[in-house]
Amino acid sequence: MIIAARQLSKFFDVKGVKNAKIRAVENVNIEIKEGEIVGLVGESGSGKSTLGRLLIRLIEPTSGEILYNIPDDELDEFDIALKNNDQNAVKKIVDKYSIMRLHGKELKTFRRNVGIVFQDPYSSLDPRLKIEDIIAEPIVETGFLKGPKVKARVLELLDEVQLPREFSYRFPHELSGGQRQRVALARGIATNPKLVILDEPTSALDVSIQAEILELLKELRKKYNMAMLLITHNISVVSYMADRVFVMYAGKIMEKGNKNDIIKNPEHPYTQALISAVPQIKRVRQRIILKGDPPNLINPPKGCRFHPRCPVALPICGWTADEVKPTLEYLISSKYFTEFSNTKVEVKDELELTVYNAKADKLREIINIEKENLRPLMSIKDIIDENGNVTLKLYKYETPELIKLENGREVECLLFSKFKE
Amino acid sequence: MKEKMSKKDMTDKNEIKPDRWRELRLSLQVFFSNKAAVAGLVIFLFYFFDALILQFFPQILPFKHPYSLTPNYADPIPLPPSWKHPFGTTYPGVDLLRAVIKSIRLDFWLSLEIVIPGAIIGLIIGIIATYFGGWIDEVLMRITDIVFSIPYLVLAIAIGYVLGRTLNSMMIALILVWWPLYARYARSVTLETKELTFIEAARASGTSNFKIMFKHILPNSLPPVFVQISLDLGTIMLTISALAFIGFLPAANLPELGYLTSLGYNYIQTAPWAMIIPGLFIVLFALAVNLMGDGFRDVIDPRRRSEL
Repeated sequence: MIIAARQLSKFFDVKGVKNAKIRAVENVNIEIKEGEIVGLVGESGSGKSTLGRLLIRLIEPTSGEILYNIPDDELDEFDIALKNNDQNAVKKIVDKYSIMRLHGKELKTFRRNVGIVFQDPYSSLDPRLKIEDIIAEPIVETGFLKGPKVKARVLELLDEVQLPREFSYRFPHELSGGQRQRVALARGIATNPKLVILDEPTSALDVSIQAEILELLKELRKKYNMAMLLITHNISVVSYMADRVFVMYAGKIMEKGNKNDIIKNPEHPYTQALISAVPQIKRVRQRIILKGDPPNLINPPKGCRFHPRCPVALPICGWTADEVKPTLEYLISSKYFTEFSNTKVEVKDELELTVYNAKADKLREIINIEKENLRPLMSIKDIIDENGNVTLKLYKYETPELIKLENGREVECLLFSKFKE
Repeated sequence: MKEKMSKKDMTDKNEIKPDRWRELRLSLQVFFSNKAAVAGLVIFLFYFFDALILQFFPQILPFKHPYSLTPNYADPIPLPPSWKHPFGTTYPGVDLLRAVIKSIRLDFWLSLEIVIPGAIIGLIIGIIATYFGGWIDEVLMRITDIVFSIPYLVLAIAIGYVLGRTLNSMMIALILVWWPLYARYARSVTLETKELTFIEAARASGTSNFKIMFKHILPNSLPPVFVQISLDLGTIMLTISALAFIGFLPAANLPELGYLTSLGYNYIQTAPWAMIIPGLFIVLFALAVNLMGDGFRDVIDPRRRSEL
C-alpha cells in the first residue's frame, strides 16, 4: 500500500461556540495501492476533500494514523495489533511507516513523494508568480532538484502536460481555465510523486476540457505508475478513471470496492441511491430519491449516519427519541388530529418518549399503519399504557462497522452485519 | 546531448535577458498610459528635486541661509503677491516663494522617513498576526490597538520631552503611532489572501511559513498597501505641519510648510495668501503622491499589465 489510514478523524472547531466540533471525518480506514486510481465519491460536505488533505498532512488529523509505503503484510499485522490492542506491535509499525511525526527534512522527503491538484485553477495559482516559478515551487522547496536542472524540469513538465514552453514566462491570468489546470497538474506531478491527490480536478472546467484533463491524467498514470486519489462528486468521471471506488457520506466511508462492482451492483443503500442518480442512455433506471438533507456534522446522527435518510433503515440503525418525536407530532397534530385532543409528546431520554393524553391501542394501530412510510416509527419497541399517558420505548441502536464481503468489497451497513451472522 | 545543449543555450540567450527588458518597458508603458499618474509623478519630481538640491547642493540656489527662514522685521506685515515677491510675504516679512522652496526639503524627507519604516513594521506585524492566527494574532492586534489609541500629539510631546525636542524624536514618535494603521491594513488584506488555495498549494509543496508569508502573501497584499503609502505621504505631511503649527518645532525659523502656514494664521482676513499658499503646497503634494500611487498600483498588478 502506498498509503493507508487507520481510524482517521478530523474534528474542526466551530468559531465562537465552545465544545462544538464539526466531525468532518470520523474513524475512517482507507488504503491505496501503488499505481491505482481510487475514486472517492460523495456529496458536498461529506468530508472528501478533508480526507484527501489529511492523507498528505496538509491538515493535522485529530486522531488516527496514516502509514506511508507500508507492505501489505505489515498493514495486516497492524490491523491485528489494533484489534488486540497490542501497543508494542502498534508502536513498532507506527514508528516505521507513520507520517504523523515527520519533521523537517523527513517531511520534505514525504512531500516530494506526494502531490495535490486542487479544484479551482483560478485560486490555486499565485497570480503574482510566473508559471515557471509556480511549477518550480515543489521542485525547489522539497529539494528534488537544484540550480539549472530546475528550469529544465519545468520545461519538461510543460511538455508533459501539453502546454507550449513559452508559457513558462506567462502569468496565470493570461491562461484559460483548462490551461491553468494543466499548470496545476504539472505542479502536482513536478517531483515525480508516488501519490497524487486530485481534489475535484475537473469540476471547475467545462465538459470538453474535462475530457482532455482526464485523458492526460490517465496517460500520466500509465507512464509513471502514480497512485491517484480522485476526489469527485461526478460518478461518470469515476467510472471512466478509477480502479476502485470509496463512497463517503457525512464523514464516514460507506462502501469500498472495485469500480465495476460498485457501479453495477451497489450494496449500501446510500451507494444505491447515489448510483441511481446517474442518468443512463437507453435504459430507464428506477431513481431512489432520498428524503431530507445531509446531516449536520456538529451533532451527527447516532448509529449509522445515513439512517435518517435511508429507505431501508432498520429499527436498530440509530433512531433516537429526538428523531421519533417530530414524526409522532406530525401524526398526532396533523394526519390523525381527530383522534387526539390535548395530546403532547415529550422526550424522556435518548430511547424513551412519553405521549400525554393518548390511548395506547389507538397509537399502536396508527403506528402499525404508518410504519412502512415513516421509518422512524420502526424503532418503537414497546408501547406501554400508564393511566392515560403512553410510554414509548425504542430499540437500542448499534453502530455499523466496515464489513468485508467477497472481492475486496467492504460495506458499512447493519444490513450486512446481520446477514453475515 | 547536442540537442539538449542547444536548447539550454536558447533559454539562456534568447529568453531570459530580453525578458527583463521587456518587463521594464512594459512597466513604464503601463505607468505612462495613466495620464493622471504622470501628472502626479511630475509634481512629485518637482518636490523631490527641490528637496534633493536643498539637501546636497544648496549653493546652486541664491539663498544666504538655505536651512532657516529669513525674516525682515523692517516690513513684517504680509504683502500681496508682486513682482518682487511672486507669492507675497508672510509675517514677519518672509518671502513666501523662497520659504516654500526651503520648506519642502524637510517635509519631503520627514514624510518618507516616517511612512516607509511605519509601513514596513506594520506589514510585518500584520502578516505574521494573520498568518499564524490564534493567540499570536490576538496578542499582536491588541498591542496594535493599544498603540493605536495613543494620540500622536501627546506621544510626540512626551518623546520630545524624553529625547529632546529634535526632529529625530518627532520622527520616532510619529513612526511609533503610524505603524498600527498598516498592521490593521495588512491584516485585513492578508485575511483574504490567506484563504486562497495557492497558499495551501505552497504548503503542500513543503514551503516554509516564512517563505509563504513573504513570497506569496506579501506580494499579494502589497498593492493596496502601496496605495495607502502614497495616500499617507500626503497625510503625514499634514500631521507634521500640524505639529509645527502648534509649535512643536526644534527651532523657530525652521522652514516647514505647516509652520509657514501658522505664521500667516493671524492675517487670514487681511492677507489670505499667507495661509493659502503654503497650505496649497501641502495639498498639492498629497494629491501628487495619490495620483502616482494609483499609477504604481497599475504597474504591479499583472492583470493591468497584460491589457497592454
